Amino acid sequence: MAQSITIPAVLAQRRTVNPMTEAATVVEMHNIRKNFAAVQALRGVDLVLHHNEVLGLVGDNAAGKSTLMKVLSGAYIPDEGEILIEGKKVHMTDPLHARRLGIEMVYQDLALANNLDVTSNVFLGREAVSARLGPFSVLDGRRMEQEAQRLLDRLKIDIPSVRLLVERLSGGQRQAVAIARATAFNSKVIIMDEPTAALSVAAISKVLDLVRELKAQGASIIIISHRLEDIYSVSDRLMVMRQGRKVRDSLVVGDIDEFRERVVAYMIGARDDFAAVVN
Amino acid sequence: MSFKDALKAQLHNIRDYGMYIAFVAIVVFFTIWTHGLFLSARNIGNLVNATSYIAVLAVGMTLVIIIRHIDLSVGFLAGTLGAVAAIALKIYRVPVGVTIPLVLTLGILAGLATAVLVARLKIPAFVATLAGWLFYKGLLQWVTRGTGTVIIENDVFNALGNGFIPDIPDIGILPGVHKVTLLLGLLAIVLFITSEIRNRKKTQAYNFEVLPMNMFIVKLVFVSAVIAAITWVLAGYQGLSWAAAILLIVVLIYSYIASKTIVGRHIYAVGGNPEAAQLNGISVENITFLVFGSMGLLTAVAGMLYASWLRSATTIAGTGMELDAIAAAFVGGAAVSGGVGKVTGSILGALVMASLTNGMNLKGVDLSVQYMVRAGVLAIAVIFDVATRKKAS
Repeated sequence: MAQSITIPAVLAQRRTVNPMTEAATVVEMHNIRKNFAAVQALRGVDLVLHHNEVLGLVGDNAAGKSTLMKVLSGAYIPDEGEILIEGKKVHMTDPLHARRLGIEMVYQDLALANNLDVTSNVFLGREAVSARLGPFSVLDGRRMEQEAQRLLDRLKIDIPSVRLLVERLSGGQRQAVAIARATAFNSKVIIMDEPTAALSVAAISKVLDLVRELKAQGASIIIISHRLEDIYSVSDRLMVMRQGRKVRDSLVVGDIDEFRERVVAYMIGARDDFAAVVN
Repeated sequence: MSFKDALKAQLHNIRDYGMYIAFVAIVVFFTIWTHGLFLSARNIGNLVNATSYIAVLAVGMTLVIIIRHIDLSVGFLAGTLGAVAAIALKIYRVPVGVTIPLVLTLGILAGLATAVLVARLKIPAFVATLAGWLFYKGLLQWVTRGTGTVIIENDVFNALGNGFIPDIPDIGILPGVHKVTLLLGLLAIVLFITSEIRNRKKTQAYNFEVLPMNMFIVKLVFVSAVIAAITWVLAGYQGLSWAAAILLIVVLIYSYIASKTIVGRHIYAVGGNPEAAQLNGISVENITFLVFGSMGLLTAVAGMLYASWLRSATTIAGTGMELDAIAAAFVGGAAVSGGVGKVTGSILGALVMASLTNGMNLKGVDLSVQYMVRAGVLAIAVIFDVATRKKAS
């Protein structure tokens, strides 16, 4: 009996959103172009990220994936093209602006202050205060520690104490702190730049577990990685870039070998799904 | 947990405690060697007055070092600002109530000028402040060219470096003891113990780790005993000197700002990883301006304390002060790589270095030997620092 009610409800919902995407979009980037002097780094790239989706972004060096993510995180201003966050057009001026819009970037070098503890890093630049006196506002240390601990617990991150200095943590734990920070303030999109680079095998699997945990909790994530097996194991959809263009955009399906072979063909230019739009 | 185990668990804090232990060892050593002369009230008073201006500079220098810079210009800047104060008081008859804020303002402006070079024009602090060192050396000679050494006759100003805080009139109880100093010491102990206990309770309420009870009591007793001993010795002479009072106020304000406020947290963040701080919305430039501005302010305080202590401004005042302040900061645990250091550590560093000088002076140790001994202590402190930090990571 219940089914007869839910099926039309789902159908009704599908009609209200784009039938191609099947879910509300969080990020839409249209025809993004960015030149550095004579170099065309981005030559009209489209990107869509749906709600609660993990999008893998791959490409050879200089394919433009980092540039595209720097545009999305406000570090670069595009020469052309538009960006929509939850359907609203935005013009980001700097990374802080992007962050206020809910776009969080986990940088490859992590951007952590090693001399500070886990709590201070999670709240860096967004400290909780108990008395407001401009720059001399008094820190609410205990509240921040408590919230940081709650955050680590929620994400099942294994760090003995939020009071540990970051310099004492392992590479995987540091990556986890950087990711936790990106999720701490109601972010809409989390961009991870090579989150598994320079980690041990055990640490990589923990970071991938963390990505899955974030997805289970409803996050929308873009991952840049050179490690195709990592992309394969956590992503719903894959986007391949080559020479400043998108050459492939598809769901992650099939077995790993087939997947790898196909992706590499796109990365090296043997195949191209969007060749028609080249100008 | 036995006391021994509790002690062992605290070993990772050895760097913090090591400084205190070393300081106590130096004090005990010189007290025995000088048959108690070192710990006499008169000597402690002299020691504190002679340390105060270096310690004030060291506080500012600690923050500069934390954000990965250095300031070589503060010695001659202090000398110059002291001369400006002396000339204003003596030649232009400016009231002392105007002279002091005027010199403090000039100090801040000088610090901000350094910050323009370092933060805005991106000149390495070492080079920028080396230029400052030359400039203020010249400026000091220039402003004192017409006058030579200026003798300061203003009693209020001279009290800063030589005077003592007032006492309530003798009422028959404890004759010859400075009662206001005793009361302040008592107040300090009460405030320390209550704030420690309240802090511990709150931290426990949040289920965070605290010191084991026996260690906690040892800490309370030790610190209280040290405050009580210092208070008693000072009260037995003429009480707390103005210089010591000023130093205490500077230390309290600065350690509070460094450890408890947003700007303090951001100073450490900029020192630890400037790129990360910037990415997280902290303006490295603003922090640099603030830190050098505060360095200028404290340089003005130090310059006036020094001029007041000598009751004069000379053409060579401030020579080498910057290096003493830098040494104090490094002995106190600041790291050249930035991001690490404590206001209280630097004060302790200044006290250690000054105690060595003072103790050796009392025994008439040759000056050349004194320099070498201080060199050894500086080297050992930094070696110890590097070794404990390497172990930790």
